[in-house]
Amino acid sequence: MDISSKAEDTPKGVDMTTSEKVVELLNQASLIPTDEKLTALKQVQELIINKDPSLLDNFLDEIIAFQTDKSIEVKKFVIGFIEEACKRDNELLVRLIANLNMLLKDESVNVVKKAILTLTQLYKVTLQWLVSSKTLSEMQEACWDLITQMKGEVLALLDSDNDGVRTHSIKFTESLIITLSPRTPDSDVPKRQDADISLDKVPKDHSYIHYGTLCEEGKSALEKLLKFMVHPAISSINLTTALGSLATIARQRPMFMSEVVQAYETLHANLPPTLAKSQVSSVRKNLKLHLVAVLKHPCSVEFQGQISTLLLDLGMPQTEITRNTPVPREPRKRPRYEQYTEGKKVKIEPALMEDDEDKEEPAPLAAPKPAAVPAVQSALDLTAEFLHPLLTPENVANLVLISMVYLPDVMPASFQATYTPVESAGTDAQIKHLARMMATQMTAAGIGPGLEQSKAKGDEACKEEQSEEDSTAKDILIKRKVPAVILGQAISVVGGYSEKPSATEPPAAPKRLPEPILPSAPTKLMGASGRKKVFRLSDVVQPLSDTQNEKLTSSAVKRILHSEKAIAQSGMSHIRVKLLSRLVTQFEGMMKEDVLQFILEDIRSRSDLAFSLLYQEYNTYLSQLPSGLLDSYDQCLFTLLSGLQEKPEQRDGLFTKLVLEAPIITESALEVIRRYCEDESRVYLGMTTLKELIVKRPSRQFQYLHVLLDLSSNEKEKVRTTALAFLKRMYEKDQLRDYIEKFALNYLQLLVHPNPPSLLFGADKDTEVAAPWTEETVRQCLFLYLSLLPLNHRLVHELASVYTEAIADIKRSVLRAIEQPIRGMGMNSPELLLLVENCPKGAETLVTRCLHILTDKVPPSPELVERVRDLYHKRVPDVRFLIPVINGLEKNEVIQALPKLIKLNPIVVKEVFNRLLGTQHSEGSSSVSPLTPGDLLIALHNIDSVKCDMKSIIKATNLCFAERNVYTSEVLAVVMQQLMEQNPLPMLLMRTVIQSLTMYPRLGGFVMNILSRLIVKQVWKYPKVWEGFVKCCQRTKPQSYSVLLQLPPAQLASVFERCPEMRAPLLQHVHSFTPHQQAHIPSSIMAVLEAHKKPEPSPVEKEMEHNPVIEETNFAVEKEVELPVQQEPVFIKYDEEPMEQEESEPVIQEETGESLSQEDLARDIDTPPPQPETPEESMEESHPETSDQDPVKEAEVDISDVETGTGTEDID
Amino acid sequence: MPSHPLRVAVVCSSNQNRSMEAHSILSKRGFEVRSFGTGSHVKLPGPAPDKPNVYDFKTTYEQMYNDLVRKDKELYTQNGILHMLDRNKRIKSKPERFQLCKEKFDLVITCEERVYDQVLEDLNSREQETMQPVHVINVDIQDNHEEATLGAFLICELCQCIQHTDDMENEIDELLQEFEDKSNRPFLHTVCFY
Repeated sequence: MDISSKAEDTPKGVDMTTSEKVVELLNQASLIPTDEKLTALKQVQELIINKDPSLLDNFLDEIIAFQTDKSIEVKKFVIGFIEEACKRDNELLVRLIANLNMLLKDESVNVVKKAILTLTQLYKVTLQWLVSSKTLSEMQEACWDLITQMKGEVLALLDSDNDGVRTHSIKFTESLIITLSPRTPDSDVPKRQDADISLDKVPKDHSYIHYGTLCEEGKSALEKLLKFMVHPAISSINLTTALGSLATIARQRPMFMSEVVQAYETLHANLPPTLAKSQVSSVRKNLKLHLVAVLKHPCSVEFQGQISTLLLDLGMPQTEITRNTPVPREPRKRPRYEQYTEGKKVKIEPALMEDDEDKEEPAPLAAPKPAAVPAVQSALDLTAEFLHPLLTPENVANLVLISMVYLPDVMPASFQATYTPVESAGTDAQIKHLARMMATQMTAAGIGPGLEQSKAKGDEACKEEQSEEDSTAKDILIKRKVPAVILGQAISVVGGYSEKPSATEPPAAPKRLPEPILPSAPTKLMGASGRKKVFRLSDVVQPLSDTQNEKLTSSAVKRILHSEKAIAQSGMSHIRVKLLSRLVTQFEGMMKEDVLQFILEDIRSRSDLAFSLLYQEYNTYLSQLPSGLLDSYDQCLFTLLSGLQEKPEQRDGLFTKLVLEAPIITESALEVIRRYCEDESRVYLGMTTLKELIVKRPSRQFQYLHVLLDLSSNEKEKVRTTALAFLKRMYEKDQLRDYIEKFALNYLQLLVHPNPPSLLFGADKDTEVAAPWTEETVRQCLFLYLSLLPLNHRLVHELASVYTEAIADIKRSVLRAIEQPIRGMGMNSPELLLLVENCPKGAETLVTRCLHILTDKVPPSPELVERVRDLYHKRVPDVRFLIPVINGLEKNEVIQALPKLIKLNPIVVKEVFNRLLGTQHSEGSSSVSPLTPGDLLIALHNIDSVKCDMKSIIKATNLCFAERNVYTSEVLAVVMQQLMEQNPLPMLLMRTVIQSLTMYPRLGGFVMNILSRLIVKQVWKYPKVWEGFVKCCQRTKPQSYSVLLQLPPAQLASVFERCPEMRAPLLQHVHSFTPHQQAHIPSSIMAVLEAHKKPEPSPVEKEMEHNPVIEETNFAVEKEVELPVQQEPVFIKYDEEPMEQEESEPVIQEETGESLSQEDLARDIDTPPPQPETPEESMEESHPETSDQDPVKEAEVDISDVETGTGTEDID
Repeated sequence: MPSHPLRVAVVCSSNQNRSMEAHSILSKRGFEVRSFGTGSHVKLPGPAPDKPNVYDFKTTYEQMYNDLVRKDKELYTQNGILHMLDRNKRIKSKPERFQLCKEKFDLVITCEERVYDQVLEDLNSREQETMQPVHVINVDIQDNHEEATLGAFLICELCQCIQHTDDMENEIDELLQEFEDKSNRPFLHTVCFY
């Protein structure tokens, strides 16, 4: 907002003002990527801090707003900016310090580190500013409070988990110590820090900055630093940093030199055991460097002895030490130190008089300072002095011998690195040095006469310090991310060290206890009860009873178990987990169940315990090999997995994790996994887990695979399909392929049995009961096999061989089930073609079914047609094979097969016609039939009635007429034309003509023409056709009159014989002619017309006309001698209800349309209802002599079946 | 990854062979790197072990090159000195002395213990100001061409690993231990502050 208004206000000129530039840069900065953003922001900083500080205030908020930027670098820039801004204008501290505080708690350690660096600077700046500020304000005081709080937080970061943060915290502490202690004349003052604030510049009468408090804070910071340094697991970098800090402190504040040198000494004798060899060298090098730095300081004179001993130990030649030693300035140095303490006292005293509040502060300030320093000093000194006379060669030799026992197996890296051969052994200097080294150790461990004495001397203040020591000692144990192992190591090594002095004790000081010292042992205990009497555990305790024991154990475990949160807060949860798992595996009993139960209550957050426990169990098992039992491990894994499995809504993959990370999957665990997979809501996760097991644990992969295979026939569809999907993918892996295949084939083989094996019902069903096969059980055996089939076509032969052996019910189910996979294989599959070619005996229906499936949607391929043709001609002459590929056959082949085809079940016939006429309900790509519709109809007419009964032929032609869309009037006209030209005339010619006429009345003229031509062909010679001819004329009157008049007289008479009612109208018709026309009518005709003229009543005539029932009379021709060839009576019915058929036909089609090509067809092939034999038998028994008859019989029965079924058709 | 690219300095005695080899490789790998020597003079092998060629740090590589060509072109071609100088002058114009450089680094890698000591001494003698840490690591490399190349690759690998740490200061200790085990040589390592 601010920016935009400013941008508008200022006129745009060539010379942008600084303010405008800043606005522009800031605007850019908010839009561009981090790199450029930083450049822009740095320019802004330069402009408003250095070039035109008056703008600083204006743009402060805009820049600070970037502290929420995602980029760490931008955040760090903001911190840098805060530092620069505050240094430039101290007043800004009030506004910015809270931002710094926020950034100090940032989640990125890099930001935190930068914030610590800045706070290091700003702490001094703030103090300086507030101390010199003339005015007092609440804001300033609040600012001071906050910065004090932040100071505390950064000091606490000495215990951070992050090494880098600790390093920064150490440096902050160093700076703090220097700031919060007075600068003295002998202080080294770096030039740059000359103007820096230090305690001596803080007035003692400031309203809220208390000199005394600051002084105490400084000292406690130093104490913290010193404590930090003696941590046994300090990292090498922290240690290096701390060493450097101490050197800086010693040089800048020589009053602390004693503590620093002491700390160096302690460290040198007690290098942290966690350091690696090279780290030890690095640290020693640093120690040397810093010692030299301290040595160079004039105030080091007092400590020259100790420092040079240390330096010698570190391998520095004496000459070099001497070179670095300052010329003693005893006369000047001493007074200075005293002067400082005195001077302070002098300074304090007026304060005492002035201010009542400060009264008590100066006292402890002045008192402990000189007292505290010598206290530590003297404790060490005293112990050293005490030890010195005791170190006789004999004692030392004993010491060495005794301590041999306690030496670690492997030489610690620190020892190896620090070891230098003792040069001047036995000299007084060396003994003194040894005494001092031991004293350092003992003091560090909290024992020794020196310490006791100084403690005895110590007043309340000292005790306070001590208790503080204790508490920090505890802290050290709890905090820190040191693994337990390292801690343990630390203890043992320190113990090893301290063994020496304690071993000396018996000869030297019998009053001491020969106990090993643990660093955590509070010193007070030792001092208080150490000397009274020898403590024996057995004196004071009695053995517990078993039940007590048990109770205590379990309640102890429970306490550990339930102290989850408290321990988590202390950061030691891994220890708790480890402890629990060890305890539980070691002790039998209820504990285990309790812990497992506890884990299951909240397994998500307690998974680490679960894993730890599991591994521990496994470990126990391994350690007891070869006799060990997996029972305990198994129970643990089983309980955990079942717990997870039974728990609803467990989506985070813990189950998978547990399974995959468990060292061994036991039988029962596998059972749980199987149950998990059977849970429909988790089937995918479960099977993914199972798959992982199969892939990642090859040694037992078949065991796991078997579970998955079992699931592939599971009754739940989702489980099954998922399992199948997984198996299909695994089938591609070579090493699994065989196993899967074998399994699938085994299952397939089950179908051979007369009853389903118990295997299919699961274990709980009774195995002895012989249940019949059901669709379900059959499918169960097929699922896996059928999903593999499209992947491996060769398997299809197995199916064929099983199929031949299976019972009819199974066959039916198989036929129903194979559609998908067979379609998946496609008709180009060489294996399928081979199957068709070989067509095992008994598998004919299977093959037919396959053919149907393949050609259902697409036209058959030439290869397939070839195979089927071969099969049909050479091996199994069952015409039904041809149906699926009928459109792939040659025209004459189709015509040859027609007689057999049309004798089949009407539904099948319909199917055949659909295929031939292309009226199949197929999607696109309709096949091109070898026969045109016309050809088909003609072929039907030409079927030899020897080969096929007329009834079937009629039905077949009816099917054609039903397809009105195909058989249009044009097609029919062509058909009639061609039929009429044949010689002899086909028997059904006139039937077809009448049908056509009924369907298409406009064909009337054409039909008249046909009739006339038939007269030329002497149609009366074909009784059947003649009959139809008359019928046709009768129907087409009066159009047909002219045709009738063309008949020879004898035939005309025959017409009237058949239909007497025709005569009168015809005569009338002739009478209506003109006389000229009448003259053309031959007299013989007229004679026929009139000769038989009988006085017939016209009403009768009419009646006849109106009574079609009579017309409908069928005429049997069995008496006709002209048709001697006929073996069976043939009924031709010139029925008049083609329409009716047309109507009923679609109904049939609808009913059967879908299933025609599938199940019904299969059933038809499989088990024709009237035949008791199973279909394959009929196929098998299709011997040449019977093959002709059987289908006929079949067809007949089929038809009658249909008739009885529908009951509407009146064919007889 | 640390948020900013690592600022690296490679230091040997004369800023000729080891530090320059590492400088060459590191800059090829995209590091922001500078190289230095800590010696008081730049020394190059001469006709005999006791007769080195001594230059001050102001002399450019080019000048040294010409000087040596003039003195004994064959000798210095044979021992590879000319080739080295030729490489160096393409990287920068002249050797630099570490003690004179006021730039701040995140990482200083020294090529022998003596150099490490000198770097430490120098860094510790500077007045602390920002308290910004700088890690100093010593990788012992013998002063010959082959070792320089091998050492440079080791340094480069080390720098790449450090560059890839999420939190360099927290992980460097462990990383160095791993490298020690892997390369089977000890590294001195310390931290100083600017």
